[in-house]
Amino acid sequence: MDFSLNEEQELFRSAVRKYLKDLGGTGTARATIRGDDEPARAAASGLAEMGINAIPVPEQQDGLGLGALDLVPVFEETGRVLLPGLQLETLALAVPLITNYGTEEQKKRWLPLAASGESAFSVAWYETGRSLFPETFACTATRIDNRYELSGVKTLVPVTGSPDLFIVGAEAPGGTSLFLVEASEAASVRPLSCLDETQLPAELSFRNAHAELLGEPGKGQDMLREALLHFNTALVSGMVGGMDELVKITAEYAKIRVQFNQPIGRFQAIKHRIVDMKLDLETARSLSHYAAWAVETGADDRIAAVHSARSFASRAYIKAAGDSIQIHGGIGFTEELDCHLYLKRARYWDHYFGSVRDSRKAAAGSLGWHARQTADAAPVS
Amino acid sequence: MDFTLTKKEEAFRDELRSWLSVNLPEGWLEGKRTLPESKEAYSRFLRDWQRKLYEGGWAAISWPEAYGGRNATLMEEIIYHQEMVRVKSPPLVNYVGIHMVAPTLMQMGTDQQKEAYIENILTGNHVWSQGYSEPNAGSDLTAIETAAVKKDGRWIINGQKVWTSFAHLADRCFLLARTGQSGKKHEGITVFLLDMNQEGVETRPITQMDGREEFNEVYLTDAIAHDEDIVGEEGKGWSVLIALMLHERSGIAAEVFTLEQQFEEVAEMARTLTSDGKPIIEDPFIEDGLADLYARISGARLNYYRNITHTLKNGKPGPESSLDKLLVSELGKELFDFAMTIQGHAGVLAGGDAPFDGAMQHQYLASFGATIGGGTSEVQRNTIGERILGLPKDLGR
Ligand SMILES: Cc1cc2nc3c(=O)[nH]c(=O)nc-3n(C[C@H](O)[C@H](O)[C@H](O)COP(=O)(O)OP(=O)(O)OC[C@H]3O[C@@H](n4cnc5c(N)ncnc54)[C@H](O)[C@@H]3O)c2cc1C
Repeated sequence: MDFSLNEEQELFRSAVRKYLKDLGGTGTARATIRGDDEPARAAASGLAEMGINAIPVPEQQDGLGLGALDLVPVFEETGRVLLPGLQLETLALAVPLITNYGTEEQKKRWLPLAASGESAFSVAWYETGRSLFPETFACTATRIDNRYELSGVKTLVPVTGSPDLFIVGAEAPGGTSLFLVEASEAASVRPLSCLDETQLPAELSFRNAHAELLGEPGKGQDMLREALLHFNTALVSGMVGGMDELVKITAEYAKIRVQFNQPIGRFQAIKHRIVDMKLDLETARSLSHYAAWAVETGADDRIAAVHSARSFASRAYIKAAGDSIQIHGGIGFTEELDCHLYLKRARYWDHYFGSVRDSRKAAAGSLGWHARQTADAAPVS
Repeated sequence: MDFTLTKKEEAFRDELRSWLSVNLPEGWLEGKRTLPESKEAYSRFLRDWQRKLYEGGWAAISWPEAYGGRNATLMEEIIYHQEMVRVKSPPLVNYVGIHMVAPTLMQMGTDQQKEAYIENILTGNHVWSQGYSEPNAGSDLTAIETAAVKKDGRWIINGQKVWTSFAHLADRCFLLARTGQSGKKHEGITVFLLDMNQEGVETRPITQMDGREEFNEVYLTDAIAHDEDIVGEEGKGWSVLIALMLHERSGIAAEVFTLEQQFEEVAEMARTLTSDGKPIIEDPFIEDGLADLYARISGARLNYYRNITHTLKNGKPGPESSLDKLLVSELGKELFDFAMTIQGHAGVLAGGDAPFDGAMQHQYLASFGATIGGGTSEVQRNTIGERILGLPKDLGR
């Protein structure tokens, strides 16, 4: 057994960390909040030049053909600085979808653009008032000869970083299906204000948009479920990166902040709380690394592994950010410190393509807890 | 034990209710409750509201009649807070003046101070702030460095205050400054009634994590005060501060009732929002969480009633108020955490794009300030442990 990232992965992490730090750490995210997207765009192309976009793309489409484990250090580091952009959506959701379900033509058309970083992709799935996996969507796609026309309204579609392509969930003959829709086909893009101001979710409407079927009709939910294993793995890495930074800045502050003639870290109320943050961080990291391994190797328990990581890390991240604010005292409540940026990001991710409960349900289902016969069992109480 | 109101208390409540129904700002009861954006208009609006309260005899009900109050009983004060929360009345801009500074001056101020300040507090002419915290002194206020030095018969004050709520609207500051270095840590601190409208006082707003600017940095550069601005004795400010805090006997009431009202709003949201066509309250997880919060928030309110019973019998509040403060502020955080969770993916939105116009999102963020301001949860726990349970103090504190 070797439960660690390999040397190359660690070297790559150092390079990404240094690059993002030199760009000013969370300064990039703060520029986006001020309405200046340029630093985030520059960071996206810098990272692409370092080769991060090529990681999950197959070699046939100009990629490196690497797996989920190689993305772990990347997303821990982008998560650490709260980097705005579509790296997660493109590399951990759209690329797996197109790689696994696209036609040769679709792969040839889109994947090289993802590998080079020329294009970013986004996913338009959610609808207002509907859960992650509703019985039906209001958005529909009708078949006209050999093509589809898609109409309807999607919400919470990430558009920061200007995606060129949307993967859209819609009702079609056969059931919920996935479609590739080019960004220029959207009838309107209405930005929504978001608790996490580094993000730009939008309401997208389509009117007879030209759409290409992705994968089999009626298999939209299954395909998304499978791709979400990749996505959640990467998302949890982002959470781990954020938590790691929170533990670091909070412990640092507790060492230098003096009240009652002593560093506040000497008070056990503070020391123990930071230690609990650290425990959560390490647990989240272990769950996250195992999830990535399980996805990469197709392990039997990969669904439980990924969703356990996600449900644990999601809550732990929110808690770590809140505790960090508390430990900083008055200054923790200000806009100036980064603590609240992490809190807002943690909340945003808490409901990003699923929730803690969705993940727990998925884990329970995959572990077969509901499949057992209980007819003979004696009633309890 | 008796949880009902007396006839007299009911009459008091009805009188206030009917006054409010006529005097609240236009459209307020119907839900038109937006406050003006610009600092000037905001300040004007709130001062006008306080003036109206004053004219109706509702600005400072607990004060003695001689000072323009109603000599209200503690029960009446509680009813007052309950009603004000119920109608979501505009904030009392001079909360600090009415509930803290004026009662302290009535108790230990000079005749001249009473004359100069009390009526101005009542009418809203003078809005007050509290200048305690400094960059290096928060939980430990004895570490303050702002210094007042006497020169040619005047006190020259230099230093910096921080997190000063309302300072941007305030005319006066109840200021802690160091006037002596010898003796124990809490000796040599003096309370000044500082005029903020002078050259040596500069106020800079600080943006909070919820986007608002309600607290400030206050820079004091050769700010001037006089002997007659000292409350109590020079160097004995610590006991003045404690006296002031004891006067805030009903402040927590507003917070208890606000928490209950916030709970009602969250429950209302759970009944209103739907997911896949069903009200989310039908989800057993949401029902369970809401019922748990209901139990705990009811418990906090009943704790409070038990604690004021103690105050009623003993004439002054005990350390139990730390218990109320701790419980209510921590519950507020949990309530809004829950409110965020149950909104599902729509919960990540803000403002007009979010359910209920983002009210939950904003209150969620604001809830983090409540466990820090007015003494952190950790400090409250120390107080409860040491003063109620008699546990030993940490070393070196
Ligand atoms: C919304 C808001 C409004 C405010 N309004 C005012 C105002 O009007 N006037 C004013 O003067 N101040 C005001 N404050 C300041 C507030 O009183 C202080 O922030 C608070 O007392 C904590 O001080 P600090 O920020 O320096 O944190 P610190 O004292 O540095 O505390 C940092 C952390 O250490 C912990 N800690 C400190 N000492 C101990 C201990 N002995 N044992 C265990 N843990 C400890 C704290 O709990 C906290 O978690 C306001 C603050 C807020 C958030």
